[in-house]
Amino acid sequence: MMSFWRRREESLVVGAAGLALFLAAFLPLAWTFIEAAAADPPALRRGLAALKAARPWILLGRSLTLAAAATALALLLGVPLGLLLGKTEVWGRRLALALQALPMSLPPFLLGLGWFYLFGAQGFVGSEASRRILFSELGAVLVLGLAFAPVASSLTALGLWGVDAALEEAARVVAGPVRVAVRILLPAAWPAVALAALIVFTLAFSELGVPMFLRVEVYPAAVFARLGGMDFAIAEAGFLTIPLWLVAIVLLGIERSLFRRRSFAVAGLRGRSAAPLPLGRLRFPAAACCWLATLLLLAPILSLAARAGRGGGFSAANQWLWPSLANSLILGCAAASLLAVVGAVLGHAAARRRPGEKILDGLAALAFLAPAALLGVGLTAIWNRPPTRFIYGGPAILVLGFLARYSIVAIRSFAAVLAQFSRDLEDTAAAFGAGYLRRFLGIVLPANFRGLAAAWILAFVFCWRDLETAVLFYPAGWEPLTVKIFTLEANAPEAVVAALSVAQAAATALVLALGFLVWRRKAPW
Amino acid sequence: MAILLLSFGAGFWCVSGCDRGGPRVVVYTSVDQVFSEPIFRAFEKRSGIAVKAVFDTEEAKSTGVLNRLIAEGGNPQADVFWSGDPVRPLLLIQRGLVEAYAAPNARNIPAAFKSADGSWTGLAARARVLLANTRLVPADQMPRSIRDLADPRWRGQAAMARPLFGTTTMHVAALFSVWGEEKARAFLNDLKANQIRLAGSNGEVKRLVAAGEAAFGLTDTDDANEALREGAPVRVIYPDQEGLGALIVPTAAVLLKNGPNLENGKKLIDFLLSKEVEKALAESAAHMPLQPGVAVPPGVSAIDTLKAMPVDYARLAEQMERIQPWLREWAGL
Repeated sequence: MMSFWRRREESLVVGAAGLALFLAAFLPLAWTFIEAAAADPPALRRGLAALKAARPWILLGRSLTLAAAATALALLLGVPLGLLLGKTEVWGRRLALALQALPMSLPPFLLGLGWFYLFGAQGFVGSEASRRILFSELGAVLVLGLAFAPVASSLTALGLWGVDAALEEAARVVAGPVRVAVRILLPAAWPAVALAALIVFTLAFSELGVPMFLRVEVYPAAVFARLGGMDFAIAEAGFLTIPLWLVAIVLLGIERSLFRRRSFAVAGLRGRSAAPLPLGRLRFPAAACCWLATLLLLAPILSLAARAGRGGGFSAANQWLWPSLANSLILGCAAASLLAVVGAVLGHAAARRRPGEKILDGLAALAFLAPAALLGVGLTAIWNRPPTRFIYGGPAILVLGFLARYSIVAIRSFAAVLAQFSRDLEDTAAAFGAGYLRRFLGIVLPANFRGLAAAWILAFVFCWRDLETAVLFYPAGWEPLTVKIFTLEANAPEAVVAALSVAQAAATALVLALGFLVWRRKAPW
Repeated sequence: MAILLLSFGAGFWCVSGCDRGGPRVVVYTSVDQVFSEPIFRAFEKRSGIAVKAVFDTEEAKSTGVLNRLIAEGGNPQADVFWSGDPVRPLLLIQRGLVEAYAAPNARNIPAAFKSADGSWTGLAARARVLLANTRLVPADQMPRSIRDLADPRWRGQAAMARPLFGTTTMHVAALFSVWGEEKARAFLNDLKANQIRLAGSNGEVKRLVAAGEAAFGLTDTDDANEALREGAPVRVIYPDQEGLGALIVPTAAVLLKNGPNLENGKKLIDFLLSKEVEKALAESAAHMPLQPGVAVPPGVSAIDTLKAMPVDYARLAEQMERIQPWLREWAGL
């Protein structure tokens, strides 16, 4: 009997994680399809007509272009920054990297507001010309590209920290720093860069707040207009998501082919690190570039801080801050832990190419790309029933929503770490009779403790900054801070909104600092 | 490991219902949080009943929680809907999701601002106004009518919120109702031809006008009041006082059928309809009291001093649902 269970341990554990993803992501999304297909004939006709019209396809083209341009900008800025800050002897590189993470903690809409206070017609350094640029498609690309560049720099640095020190040092004997970076380091960090590209493209593509604020019409706005409008045209919204699934499938295909090109296995995030790459005469210009870029990424937060300070926002914000901050912390910790567990199990399955991993990975990617509004409608329909009231009526529904939306982040980040971890140890343990759970808890997790901590931190940041998922179905009394800022933005003094945004960034700095302390520790097992 | 365990603890606490116990009332509201939350806190202090609230977002104003209330209809989570306008509650009434409640405090509310059977009761009203930047619009050229939004003189310089959400949808539906289909569509097409700037929300219209990004725009009195409080160079104009009249938008309190805390819901509605709340909202949000005898602070108009647009809110609800697909097309979505 014991051996029966031991043989099936892996299937059961992966199945349980997959089931959680199925309940959180597949059922709600499938429900919206069924609802769309089962709509009455006039609604179906309107849905088909919406898809046949030229306008949605024009918007789709614009959204794809916008997301591609923002991704290109984020990678162009983020990957070299990640390389310089993660691997070279730039002064204050760790501080710069940590500071860059702060913009990731704010919904891009608030960063857009920061840029508006800077470059609006009557902004701190604004003019008519800067206003015209800001309120244009180029402005949207710049705001989104700069908002998401820290995703690329952080993931690149994370990927580079996993490169085998011996391999890197051997290369340095025969090659200069540029060649080592281009031929050894960047190819080794390729999975992390590919993940960054996927995340940035998806976030930029599904972003609604920034384009609406800058008056750029995009595809997600067309879906939202049907779900948020008076007639609640869910069938039309369902039909309009069909092109999104096609986009998601193409994206996944591209990303997977890039992922496979990873050139060689490396040591992972647990081994000794190589000494920073010497830059020689380039050290000063490289440091200046890195710090200027960091300042550029922080500019909207500094602008928000200046706006808050100018209007006495910090003292007035006090009365709005604390309950929502506590909600965000509790929800973020609970969701990040669940995501880390699911991400570790499914990330391991993905790295070891277990059967069904592609389906689960694809489902997680689809849920990430799907409009949050659609996911919210589906979650309400599936979970708001008397037997599951304890879930829908409380914060657990938000944890489920975060699991659906951000599992791809945890799965892929842990899989990227495991891709650099030799499976010999696991195979040896298996040959000596160790079951899946023993190998997973005794070898995989301790050896990749930093990777697990990194997955937790990444998941936490995504849940912490989330606005679009939570805003639609957060339970009464469980309003996260991002939602509070967004709803207060309607009529609260600008200085208060700016101060709350700065508080959100400051709280992130604290959480990241704690996370970093944990990350630096050795495995506690 | 300790962090993971702690987090799981937090998760378990969440799932097991960490905020159970004690009397409570659940309210969904599309009244701006900055104004509604202090009212709820005052009620908590007065009654000892905890208020658990869901606030609407600015961009989906009123339709976000409305659609949620409809979606939750089979298993209601909320006891009270405090709507930013009287039209959305009518959509709930049509679907049988509302419990009529003739609140004692509703007696003195004018009949135009409540239903006869107590399905909805109006309180603290806003008006739709034009907000002009005094640095960009000379005093002798101030707009006086919403038709000025389509005046070629202001080509590309006027702003309004997308008419798909919030009070702007209601305003457009009122125009369809008062002017008729053809004239209203022509007006909206004129606005488009005049390159009107479509903002995400009324609050954003205020921000654009206050920052000089737009010369003037159509918004609500509470947004306009906020611009005045922030010291922005703006002037508030009640439009069409010699003609059509300004659209009055009372907020509305509604008791929901089969809510989990029905009696507490009634107590909250009684409180919302009190003179004390109307006075507080007049002071904080420039809302016009509907109860007689509530003094208005300087800068806030009394409801009986305005020429109001003659509208039947029940008809507007039907109109709004009907014109939504056309409005999406008009907005390019």
